[in-house]
Amino acid sequence: MKIITAKIDCSADKRIAADDMILTSDMPTAAGSRMLDGYMSLFSAEAVTRLADAGYNVAMKADVGEFSVDLIGETSYNGTPAVNGVLVNPACEAVKSGDAVAAISLDVNGAIRRGAAHAGLVCIKPTYGTVSRYGTIPAACSGECVSVTAGSAETVSEVLSVIAGHDDKDGTSLPAEKCEAAAKINAPVKRIGIVKALCEGADEDVQAKLDGFTAKAKAAGIEVIELDGSGLVAARSAWNVLMSAEVCNNVSRYDGVKYGYRAEKFTNLDELYTNSRTEAFGEVIKSVILYGSETLSTDNYMKVYDKSLRVRRIICEIFESFFEDIDALLIPAVSKMAYTEEDVRADKYMAFTENIYTAPASITGLPAVVAGGVQLVGPALSDAALLDAVKRIG
Amino acid sequence: MERDTLRRLELLNQLKLTEQQKEDFLCFFDKRMEDFSAIDRIFDTSDVERMVHVMPIMTVVREDEVVKKFDREALQQGAPETDEGYWCVPRVVE
Amino acid sequence: MKYETVIGLEVHVELATKSKIFCSCSAHSFGTEPNMHVCPACCGMPGMLPVVNKRVVDFGMKAGMMLNCHINRVTTFDKKSYYYPDLPAAYQTTQWFAPVAVNGLVEIETSKGKKNVRIKQIHMEEDAGKLVHDIREDTTHVDFNRTSVPLIEIVSQPDLSSAEDVEVYLERLKMLLRYAKVAECEMSHGTMRCDVNLSVRPEGSDKLGVRTEMKNMNSIEAIKRAIEYETARHIDAIENGTEVLVQETRRWDDIKGKSYAMRSKETAGDYRYFPDPNVMPVVIDDQWYETVQESLPEFPEVKKEKYVGYGLSDYDAEQITKSIALCECFEAAYAVCGNAKDAANWMISEIMSILNARKMTYDMLDINGKALGELILLVSSGKVGRANGKKILAEMFEDSSIEPEAYAKANGLIVSNDTSLIEQKVAEAIAADPRAVNDYKNGKEKAIMSIFGRCMKELKGNCDPQVLKTILIEKINSL
Repeated sequence: MKIITAKIDCSADKRIAADDMILTSDMPTAAGSRMLDGYMSLFSAEAVTRLADAGYNVAMKADVGEFSVDLIGETSYNGTPAVNGVLVNPACEAVKSGDAVAAISLDVNGAIRRGAAHAGLVCIKPTYGTVSRYGTIPAACSGECVSVTAGSAETVSEVLSVIAGHDDKDGTSLPAEKCEAAAKINAPVKRIGIVKALCEGADEDVQAKLDGFTAKAKAAGIEVIELDGSGLVAARSAWNVLMSAEVCNNVSRYDGVKYGYRAEKFTNLDELYTNSRTEAFGEVIKSVILYGSETLSTDNYMKVYDKSLRVRRIICEIFESFFEDIDALLIPAVSKMAYTEEDVRADKYMAFTENIYTAPASITGLPAVVAGGVQLVGPALSDAALLDAVKRIG
Repeated sequence: MERDTLRRLELLNQLKLTEQQKEDFLCFFDKRMEDFSAIDRIFDTSDVERMVHVMPIMTVVREDEVVKKFDREALQQGAPETDEGYWCVPRVVE
Repeated sequence: MKYETVIGLEVHVELATKSKIFCSCSAHSFGTEPNMHVCPACCGMPGMLPVVNKRVVDFGMKAGMMLNCHINRVTTFDKKSYYYPDLPAAYQTTQWFAPVAVNGLVEIETSKGKKNVRIKQIHMEEDAGKLVHDIREDTTHVDFNRTSVPLIEIVSQPDLSSAEDVEVYLERLKMLLRYAKVAECEMSHGTMRCDVNLSVRPEGSDKLGVRTEMKNMNSIEAIKRAIEYETARHIDAIENGTEVLVQETRRWDDIKGKSYAMRSKETAGDYRYFPDPNVMPVVIDDQWYETVQESLPEFPEVKKEKYVGYGLSDYDAEQITKSIALCECFEAAYAVCGNAKDAANWMISEIMSILNARKMTYDMLDINGKALGELILLVSSGKVGRANGKKILAEMFEDSSIEPEAYAKANGLIVSNDTSLIEQKVAEAIAADPRAVNDYKNGKEKAIMSIFGRCMKELKGNCDPQVLKTILIEKINSL
């Protein structure tokens, strides 16, 4: 296992860890995959460039699970990152250990949010389109975002303010005025909603975190109300479809021809492709590729893929109606406060059920902040308000 | 899922699964589809318009200008095989 | 039994933009060294995001308007997945769900009369790279210069029924797209490519036969040969049962004059299209739509009618309207010189002949029409001799910035009215050729021409031929 896959100049101040889905021109980027072992990008991600311009030092790369679709980082070709049998997210470890003041990660399927919940860190997956995805390894482009993780909401805000903003190099980047709106507290969080149906799968420890958070919120003068939003559980199945299909398409470019891993043995083009991909990809990503491919087949396109796009709209509408009454939704980020190596041995696809908590924000592009082991999801562009709420709640 | 469908999926995606991986995948696939079918018990999606992009903005377009930032040598630095400025693959029969 | 052929075409046209459709690499791939116009995006490396080239949308709309299509005001891009070495990302970004233009109509006129060809749709997409098979025996070499160069694909309904129809239709497309200046449409450069979908059925039947798709025709002539071959093959199969027709893609071999079924993978055609999450919908607002609409040229027929109205013959008007470059030059020249017939004569007898002689296409014309008009005025007013006018025009082909009057002055090409100089030259010429003078006096009128020519040469053409002739005859007669 590896926590840090590459580093430079670790004596510098204001060190930032970038996870290995984020391209850096001075350190290799492998996306947790043997396919990209040692891959050197010719350019750095926009977020990295902006941090460097603002005086930060993106000084190390933190390992990720293969294309970051997994639970917390366990599918990396470098081995499963774990401490005493407990799984850890490498970017979170880099922050927790003090190696980095903050980490930037590509939140594809919530691994970083789960890691932050376990590590007791603050993490924001910002509103989709407020942080440029230029220079990130594409996986599930319709929902993935560059996120920030640090020890406090203050540090997260600081780093986020550097990397957020319109970027012409990203066709999905929001206009400057929208990005600016996300950086301001337009409506402070006064009322938080909680959906029972989304908390049911969480164990006692998580429940205690939710209760603790609720109590502190009330103490901070924030009202907490219960809402019926059982439909949100459907976000997971729809997100699994969209994510898998997009990942399938995005990783099809890795074929042993232009760069990256090439099998040693092949006698023709077909074998070159198949052997390279078969040897270099791990099992979980292979399953995701095949599942995603099948959801786009002629038979399944309307029944599965297109339906998932329709579910995306329904989930957005559910949130919209929520946000008429509340300023943020409180949900768990994880079902338990630690994953063990045994957990993922027993179910290597645990990420695809556990993401019931992270999928609602991923599929809608809404901002989500993890703090105190729980997660707040807010309306679009409420990024600063969510971080402010977390600061106030403490 | 039929074994034949799986074989076709492997071909389509240039992957070869071991027997164990096939079994695991089929199990994974069934679980996902089962999970997915639950949607129908929650919503009627038939009249809902699909949503591809979460943010209702128009694409950022660029002016038609040529910018050259990368040279061939750099682009081919990590290439498994090149020759005379080309990337190379085993001969393709057309 | 009599049969009819049912043909639909898929025509790929490379758009004449400077840069590629989703990245800023140069879109001019023809004849450049391999992989010079590439970046991480168009060679399939991760991390760059597609940003749509506005001019590609402009051109897509223009093409749609020229072919009488409905323009989709919200047009979207989709991904089409397959593995092939010329497709570096293993997907092509194209338009599947909401193409830029739909439901068009192109009118063609063949030896059998006029007919309408319906256009199903026009979609914008990126081109694939080029594979080179003849460098090493065991290897295919891959060049991504052409990857992501913008294309439009024009899909017709199966409304064509002969090789002639197809030829006329393609010529018509070429003309309209060139008029709109969106594409070169030169099959020999690969900027226009055409796949032919063909089936055969008994005449009068409304049931379509088995359809085959043919690729790899590199000229209109090859397309015609391929259609004739394939039609015969289909009829033979139906009548004589020589083979069983199957729906398939075939490759045309123009040297052998035959089509061959292409070896296809079991998974061929399974493209798994889905909307591209990285390209937001392109929304064409009224202002954008109108700007493009206003930039459309007049149709060739409209121009022709207008020119006939200026007093040109039908033939002359037809000649000039062959190319938008000729039209523009003619119109500008006419605006200056005010004589349409004069302007047309210069266009047809001079400019078009020079282009033909130099094996240049009419679209390559780079003459300033205003300057041509000035030149015509100089000649028609007698300020510059006709032969010298042609010389100046030839110079204008070399240097389009030449101003005719200034050039004529600087190079001594202005007609002189100095009769004493003419008389002097005539006297010299007569003295130099007494035999011609004698011949003329003995009734051989043509003999005078050699003396006339000598004088003209001595005067560098700067003389009114009528004045010279009068002085010459007077002088000889007075001898």
